[in-house]
Amino acid sequence: MRKRWLLVFAVLCVVSVLLGARQMVWSDVLSFSGDAWLTLTASRLPRLAALVLTGAGLSVCGVILQHIVRNKFVEPGTTGGLDAAKLGILVALTVMPAAGTLSRMLFALVFCLMASLLFIAVIRRIQFRNLVLVPVVGLMYGSVLTSIAEFYAYSHNILQSMQGWLLGDFSRVVQGHYEILYIIFPVVMLAYLYAHRFTVLGMGEDIATSLGLGYAATAIIGLVLVALTISATVIAVGAIPFVGLVVPQLVAMRCGENLRRTLPLVALGGASLLLACDIAGRLVMYPFEVPIGLTAGAVGGVMFLVLIVRGLR
Amino acid sequence: MRMSLTKTCWFAALSIALLALAFVLLGSGLDTDYVIPKRLVRLASIVIGGICVAVSAIVFQVLVNNRILTPSIMGYEAVYLLWQAMLLLLLGTHGLSMLGVHGNFLVSVLLMLTYSWALQWWLLRRGRNDVYVLLLLGLVLTMVIGTFTQFVQLRISPGEFAVFQGVSYTSFNRAKPQTLLYAAIAVAVACAVVRKTLAVLDVLALGREQAISLGVPHGRYLQLYLALIAILVALSTSLVGPTAFMGIFVANIVYALVPHARHRVMLPLGCVVAIAIFLAAQLLVEHVFNYKTTVSILVNLVCGVYFLALIVRKRGAA
Repeated sequence: MRKRWLLVFAVLCVVSVLLGARQMVWSDVLSFSGDAWLTLTASRLPRLAALVLTGAGLSVCGVILQHIVRNKFVEPGTTGGLDAAKLGILVALTVMPAAGTLSRMLFALVFCLMASLLFIAVIRRIQFRNLVLVPVVGLMYGSVLTSIAEFYAYSHNILQSMQGWLLGDFSRVVQGHYEILYIIFPVVMLAYLYAHRFTVLGMGEDIATSLGLGYAATAIIGLVLVALTISATVIAVGAIPFVGLVVPQLVAMRCGENLRRTLPLVALGGASLLLACDIAGRLVMYPFEVPIGLTAGAVGGVMFLVLIVRGLR
Repeated sequence: MRMSLTKTCWFAALSIALLALAFVLLGSGLDTDYVIPKRLVRLASIVIGGICVAVSAIVFQVLVNNRILTPSIMGYEAVYLLWQAMLLLLLGTHGLSMLGVHGNFLVSVLLMLTYSWALQWWLLRRGRNDVYVLLLLGLVLTMVIGTFTQFVQLRISPGEFAVFQGVSYTSFNRAKPQTLLYAAIAVAVACAVVRKTLAVLDVLALGREQAISLGVPHGRYLQLYLALIAILVALSTSLVGPTAFMGIFVANIVYALVPHARHRVMLPLGCVVAIAIFLAAQLLVEHVFNYKTTVSILVNLVCGVYFLALIVRKRGAA
């Protein structure tokens, strides 16, 4: 099982490296110089790294959020996190236009964290019985945040560019423009280290507390990890919806919810899904590209619809 | 304390008259050659758009028997926009003008009809008892269809893209007097049909089983109303653009204002409320925000917040 997934992942990686507008010339690559070598090191490999990191990070985020909120339809896109991060970047751009990537990311981080905290406070206060209501409220919350962002962007005359660069797109990933994504690596490692705690967290506040877990502290650590990943990905590649929702669900349906065991699979699955979506996006209009925000949004959205309808039966 | 219904109606009529007057005259310099006729055209498209939004939302809520779903939430507008983008991709601007306004409208209505029947067969029957599942499905469906629309947008040429951009946001400026005339006739016919069957609508609001046991052929009227909704949504989307959460806002204000459930009062009041909101938003954009924002952003903001509050407050009690 695990071996098969690794194989699929490896094949996707190889295809992703080989595919592109410029043909790979192997003699160049083997001599470590020339055009093909430059293409490989400056564009293809960074892109591969960015894809794998983003996919793994987003799906791990989804798992953590799902365990904190205790709802399987939750992910950064359905809790307002993505939209809050966009709003944060927008505010950073207008308040201090000269700011670098790091300070912009800081803004996104703070906004994302605040929005998630607010969302969880509202959700907890209401004590829903209904599984589906939480993502509904989250989607609405997200669209309100987006319309605030649009209001803000329109009055500063940057609406059009905002819509453009906040759509997930890996074609901008080249050497020197994606390194911030490496922050996802320690985040995923930390998540793995805390996997047992998040598993217990998913059993609810009472059980978690009686098992000796500091509930609030663990939840906040989880939210910080999520906010870090989201702000880094939105800054570097833009928003990619539904990946964090679909992958953990598919894994949970097959392998259960013991995070120590399933987290690597979730990360691998997320990376593979993004790789596949990216390859599809590069092939559809070859040699042009379809932004991954669209391909992943379409694939993930349809999968999400199928999951909801299956839940209806 | 609740105002008595007659008072509410008077108040609504008065406020809309004032708003309309302000909209037409404010800062016009009483220029009857250019400014005022232009504004009257816009006023007409606001009125027709408002009627379409209100009637389609309220009738749809009767059909699905709950007060949270509206056609735009269930993806009607998204389908319309996708269809317009597809037309541009397949035929180009040239082909679109060949098809003409009427041809385009007719085909759009047919498509929306198909969509609403598909929705009816596939979803509404199955999830009749679970509003929130339908709501989630609607929201996600809207997002997915929007993604496909964006994808089509990537394929069309920049000139056609500009044409499409004009369709995809709320605006009262795009209608021409001639189109407005046809739209007005279509809306008048639709409203006449609704008016003739007002009593049936009241019975349908009781629920499917009750309606059947009271002798209303539920299936037949369902088809009729679905067709009407398809026409109205196509009209409003082509005239004023997508309105997202506007319908739900209007419908719920009407439910709060009217103490009973007689559609003879609710539908006209809904139209008045919708027109008043459009007028107020347009006035705000023109005179307060000085074109620093748009009607659709304003409406989305206000109605979105209201909708969120509505869901959170009602919890599972819908």
